[in-house]
Amino acid sequence: MVLVLYGTEVSAPVRAVLLTLRALELDYEFQEVDLTAGDHLKPDYVSKNPQHTVPTLQDGGAYIWDSHAIMGYLVQKYAKDDALYPREPLQRAIVDQRLHFESGALSVRWKQLKHLLFEEKVTELPIEKLHETYALLELFLDGHEYMAGDQLTIADFSIVTSVSTAHLSIAPVDATKYPNLSAWLTRISSLSFYEQANSTGARRMAELVRAKLPKQFDKLWQKAFEDIKSGAGKM
Amino acid sequence: MGKLSIYGLEASPPTRACLLTLKALDLPFDWVKVNLMAGEHLLPEYLEKNPQHTVPVLEDDEVCIWDSHAIMPYLVGKYATTDALYPKDHHQRAIVDQRLHYDSGPMFIGTLLSLTKPLLFKGATVIEQSNIDAIADVYDVVETLIGDNEYIAGADLTIADFSFVTTICSLMVFLEPDPSKYPKIVAWLERLRQLPYYEEANGVGAAHFESMIKSKNFTIESN
Repeated sequence: MVLVLYGTEVSAPVRAVLLTLRALELDYEFQEVDLTAGDHLKPDYVSKNPQHTVPTLQDGGAYIWDSHAIMGYLVQKYAKDDALYPREPLQRAIVDQRLHFESGALSVRWKQLKHLLFEEKVTELPIEKLHETYALLELFLDGHEYMAGDQLTIADFSIVTSVSTAHLSIAPVDATKYPNLSAWLTRISSLSFYEQANSTGARRMAELVRAKLPKQFDKLWQKAFEDIKSGAGKM
Repeated sequence: MGKLSIYGLEASPPTRACLLTLKALDLPFDWVKVNLMAGEHLLPEYLEKNPQHTVPVLEDDEVCIWDSHAIMPYLVGKYATTDALYPKDHHQRAIVDQRLHYDSGPMFIGTLLSLTKPLLFKGATVIEQSNIDAIADVYDVVETLIGDNEYIAGADLTIADFSFVTTICSLMVFLEPDPSKYPKIVAWLERLRQLPYYEEANGVGAAHFESMIKSKNFTIESN
């Protein structure tokens, strides 16, 4: 059995699957899909995944896509126990809700922001939406160390990939505003396989995002000059 | 078994997806209406059940679960006598899961909510043509996903069909799927309408949704 993962490490959902593969200590091949070159739109790829997204997992003759479906599949098929995706219906329902929250609130918002940044060249991004999402994640973590309760699950893998990318680029997680979320980010990033499976890719994506934004330093100076001119900001 | 209650709004597609599931599993439940228009989802008692303040919420005795895509698998896992609606086979399940995430991501949140939120909650009167075009993109994907199958995730009815039919019935209010372009979607919709509980669990609520939207007298503008 050879698992093949098709994708690119700048993509958050691809990294979520990488985190899962590493956590399960599974062997796999990685096939790079260059989105900027349109690899995902070529007939060969579309025949595997008609939605032409990344990641796609190949397991024997089966092609599975959507990171959340892939992660669930990997744990259910290959894990020694169900810790990462509990079978008990209520525990599972909590993990599922977090996974779908990632699909809806995080992924969709992040895609919209990327579209504004890379396609429409907007540089004043509506990051209030991301902060609303951070506020909810903060609540989910109340009294718990992990996103779906007291143990690590694939919900943590799914959410950390998009949050870490936003944190490193346009919306840093303020530890005073979001103490739970900040502590959780530190907790997850200290997993032994985190650096390779998520950190590298998240940083690359963050750099691509920041390259599109006006220098933060210039903006701060501009505001400072305006404040001096108007007499505002005097303590 | 526990006492089941569904908190929701009939016009809401994910609420209807859970109603379809409850009916398909023949489970008794209480129905509690949550009037989103009146902000009932933001009341403290509701926030305690669901801090994300969305509908629906399932209450099973004292336990509260939200997000229709988590509720449906929960109901099948806990109460169904067979796994037909949410297969245990790894590959089959992964297909259903992918379909469910397509709904919770690009289809429901990405496409439908970007239309309804401004119209129903922010007093918008104009919709951009690009939002309507996005619906056609969704139909393109769904037509492909159906393929040669009778149902959304394969040869048999699953909770993925419940998710898709409820969202698509609402998308249709903005853009009807052209039968010449989307014959599979049209045939699949007709197939689902034959379910004995369809009218009660989806038809009625879908009609509510339609009248709510049409009452807004919106116009569509090209941007």
